[in-house]
Amino acid sequence: MKIKSPTAVIPGIYLALFFAYLFGPLIIMVITAFNSSNFPRVSPWECFTTDWFGKLVADDKLIEGLGNSLLIGVGVVAVAIPIGLAAAIMLSQVGPRLRASLYTIFIAPILVPGVVIGLSTLIFWDRIGTFFNAPYESFFYDGTFLTIFGQVTFIAAYSMLVFLSRIQRFDTTLTEAALDMGATPTQAFVKVLLPFMAPAIGSATVLAFLASLENYNTTVFTIVSSSTFTTVLSSKVRYGLDPSISAVAVIIISITLIGAIIYECRNRYHSKGWSLVVAERPVLKVATHPGSVAAVLGLLAIGAVLFIQNHDSSACTAQILEDKRAIQQKLMEQQSLDTPAVTPAPTTPKLGPLGGEDTGGTSAPSPFGGNAGSIFSPENLSGSAGSTPSTSDAPTSPPSSGVGGIFAPENLTGSGAN
Amino acid sequence: MTFAGVGTFMTKEISLEHVWVEFGEFTAVQKANLNIAGGEFFSFLGPSGCGKTTLLRCISGFQEPTRGLVKIGGKDMKGVGPNKRPTALIFQNLALFPLRSVADNISFPLEVRGVDKKTRRKRADELLELIALPGQGDKKVSELSGGQKQRVAIARALAVEPDILLLDEPLSALDLKLRQHMRTELRAIQKQVGLTFIYITHDQGEALTMSDRIAVMNKGKIEQIGDGKTIYDHPSTSFVASFVGENNVLEGTVLTNDGKMMQIDAGLGTLFHVESHPAGGPALAPGDACQLFVRPEALKIAKSDNSLNQFETRFVTEEFEGNMRHIVLDAQGKKLKLSLINDGTHSIGASAPVKLDFAPALGIALKPGELASA
Amino acid sequence: MRDLFYDLVKRNGMAVSIYLMVAVSLWVFLLIILPQLTMLDYSFRFNLPPGKIGGPEDVYTLDQYRYFFQGSGSSGGLNTLDIGILFKTLMSAVFVTVFDLLICYPVAFVLAKSSTGAKARLLVLALIVPYWINEILRAFAFRILFGSTGVINEVGMGLGLFDSPVDFIREDVALYAGLAYAYILLMIFPLYNAIESLDRNQIEAAQDMGANWWQVHSKVVIPYAKPGIASGMTMVFMLTAGALAAPQILGGPSNLWFTQLVYQWFNSGGNWPRGSAYAMILLVVCIALVLLTMRIFKVSIGEIKR
Repeated sequence: MKIKSPTAVIPGIYLALFFAYLFGPLIIMVITAFNSSNFPRVSPWECFTTDWFGKLVADDKLIEGLGNSLLIGVGVVAVAIPIGLAAAIMLSQVGPRLRASLYTIFIAPILVPGVVIGLSTLIFWDRIGTFFNAPYESFFYDGTFLTIFGQVTFIAAYSMLVFLSRIQRFDTTLTEAALDMGATPTQAFVKVLLPFMAPAIGSATVLAFLASLENYNTTVFTIVSSSTFTTVLSSKVRYGLDPSISAVAVIIISITLIGAIIYECRNRYHSKGWSLVVAERPVLKVATHPGSVAAVLGLLAIGAVLFIQNHDSSACTAQILEDKRAIQQKLMEQQSLDTPAVTPAPTTPKLGPLGGEDTGGTSAPSPFGGNAGSIFSPENLSGSAGSTPSTSDAPTSPPSSGVGGIFAPENLTGSGAN
Repeated sequence: MTFAGVGTFMTKEISLEHVWVEFGEFTAVQKANLNIAGGEFFSFLGPSGCGKTTLLRCISGFQEPTRGLVKIGGKDMKGVGPNKRPTALIFQNLALFPLRSVADNISFPLEVRGVDKKTRRKRADELLELIALPGQGDKKVSELSGGQKQRVAIARALAVEPDILLLDEPLSALDLKLRQHMRTELRAIQKQVGLTFIYITHDQGEALTMSDRIAVMNKGKIEQIGDGKTIYDHPSTSFVASFVGENNVLEGTVLTNDGKMMQIDAGLGTLFHVESHPAGGPALAPGDACQLFVRPEALKIAKSDNSLNQFETRFVTEEFEGNMRHIVLDAQGKKLKLSLINDGTHSIGASAPVKLDFAPALGIALKPGELASA
Repeated sequence: MRDLFYDLVKRNGMAVSIYLMVAVSLWVFLLIILPQLTMLDYSFRFNLPPGKIGGPEDVYTLDQYRYFFQGSGSSGGLNTLDIGILFKTLMSAVFVTVFDLLICYPVAFVLAKSSTGAKARLLVLALIVPYWINEILRAFAFRILFGSTGVINEVGMGLGLFDSPVDFIREDVALYAGLAYAYILLMIFPLYNAIESLDRNQIEAAQDMGANWWQVHSKVVIPYAKPGIASGMTMVFMLTAGALAAPQILGGPSNLWFTQLVYQWFNSGGNWPRGSAYAMILLVVCIALVLLTMRIFKVSIGEIKR
């Protein structure tokens, strides 16, 4: 016999914890997008603001990257979907031994690290370009083309998996029936197999596009001197933490949620139970139609955009600034009374940001003590790595916060946090 | 159902000449040799894996024979694809296109031949009328019942206007009642249309009730070809004897054979007298080992003490089937089955020995061979 | 190849077969095999300026690999820094993989065996939604969470768990949490698919015969779900070991991920051959580790499916 009562709740509690892990970080990130504090944080809460969204729209680099990403996404879909479909069909038609080896080849790009794919794509096309003596402007060296090639390598494999799971449910006697009734093999393909695959083509397209949009590991190599949404975002994050990145997250999460809600509504709307419920209730039927749900969500989104454009938090932020000045004033007075020794950092962070007026970000923002940039600074390697890469890719650690700066207590409490 | 005016159907004969099909090491069909006359209802009967479906695929063009010829209407079909052959196949699972409406299913053969939409629809409606599903053309396939799907599949095959209709166990998915009904219906359709039907089944009941002739297959080999009665009464191999219908089998030795009558010792203390029949496979010579088959309904409870072929058994158990009583008996360690019509006349008790006999014409002596597994 | 094409033509017709062959060949050769071979070739060459490529100095060498093992010195001492980074990367990836398996198995089991219909679909959707959010943003969220003034530190100090902020970034806690988070989905779905196909009756039969919950899992569910577990672990391990974004954003200042070394040689170091060699080392070591593990647990590569 199973003892039900106390053990039955454990799965529920576990699931709740698990989903908290899944959604908690995202929720906190969303909240930080609306805090006027210059550093993305929940507390101390300063002012409710929508300014970070405005900053986003004005970010030309990000917008340009987004444009490139969309272009690449379309290109990847256009190439990867036909390849994935062909691969899945071929797998479904060959004998078991050939299928096993083909499957291993086809699945490999998913397992090979993205870094390796990016690198090999770059080298390969560079070699080909050199071989043909192609000019530097040709596509062999073009970030957009290289990125499409690099991403297609593994996104085709993703879409193949989508197609494969669909084609496994395909009844091959349908094709035989079509042939038997006089269809040519091509007709059987177009009139029987392709319509059957249509839903999978739809979902593979969405998947491929999203995978392309969010890819970083491969793209960071193949994009060369150009940029995508993700690489711009990445350099923004490494350059310094800024709530406008949270604002990006808010937008993406909103779009995702809207998509998910419409998808779920569509499923429910087409379910058998629901069509019985709405059969007699035309109003309810219209209200729950995925189209009308989409319209409502669209209106909400427009409302949110209008609100963001018109919300003004300057009065509040000015007040906060004033308060900070006062606190700092006080602190400085106190400090001059105390011994001039440096206050150990860890005891003070509760006080929050000092240096309130220092908003320009002239010093490197390093709220975690560890400067993101300094990870990549050449000095780090030079100790034992012998030949040092000559230039640092680190987007810029300004001299003020080199390796030594990590340990400086001021860095912990200080300027950067702002 | 009437099929008059549904189209013009030519009937063509088919011949298989020394057809072999091999998949690597595995021989699926060996040396199939047969002629099927135009307008005939011909069945391939055999257990699953016996090669009957492979043979059907050779005729429909999905499989090229490794060796040998498939001729339809006297023409060699080598290299002619399934879409170019004058055959229409009804699949085991029917293979109706789930994403198309009933009418679009039926008119598919016309669609791929480039017939315009209006003609297609008209033709589909005619065929729907004929399979007694008028006005159901816009339904989805999934909305039809099993029997209705069956008819749609037939209508779709007829829309091809084939010379030969091939049916691959089309009734196996139906429940018992519907299956029996469809047997009658299929036979009626065949009679009316006059098409050559080639029917694949593992169900001997289907084969026996519908077919003009039957080919019994085992392990890729055609064991016997003949009409239902011949196959049942005069099987030519042990496999056919044990696969078609039920049979008791006794191992024995031939003592004499004069071409009309054999004497066989099966170790039951009685010398069995059995007629030899020209259809019953190769002749047995005195001294040959043999298998003696006696069907459960051929065994009788002996009416007198000194009848021919009499032997003694003991009652073991009884399986009651309503109209029939199947009695299991023991003859010197050998289990035998006796089927009696349940007319209330026989009483068999557990205690006394039961004396059985059978008519010499109903015993079948064959060379020892593989038996069909139960 | 010719037989394959002939077969395809017979089934699909000429036009479709040409499409199938061309699409798959372009993918396999132009995008998968040739680039890898070129990179392999590159990793055995000297880093030469463009003008000298193809010249007399452009010969094969083991120099790039030697560097990984011995550093630049000819003294024969080991390049402990880079080898250490590789080792640490692999160990961390194993740790993250095992951690993901431990937290995902119960979720996959509950999802597969206790939820049905609309509820299960909703839970699956809830699993996928976070995955649609950009990898960079997910890492960013963990930076916010684990920062010295982040929520975890604030809450921890508020509760009095520690009285000064813990540098989670430095301790690599943020990195492990972020990496584990990033590839959760790739662990859950193979597990879910494997467990879902297990007949519920088998579990009930085991319980009926007196197995306790631990025995049900260790003797029935886990052996059955082994291919799913293997493919989930392979996927998570390979992606974690090959991750670049999360280590760049969440990595501690003194801790490098091996992919970052590749990135450095490539971008800032400007030494493509050495970058290639390091990428090959990563690839080979990872694959070897996966194959070895599958050997040990007796799972064949054919069983690995998504």
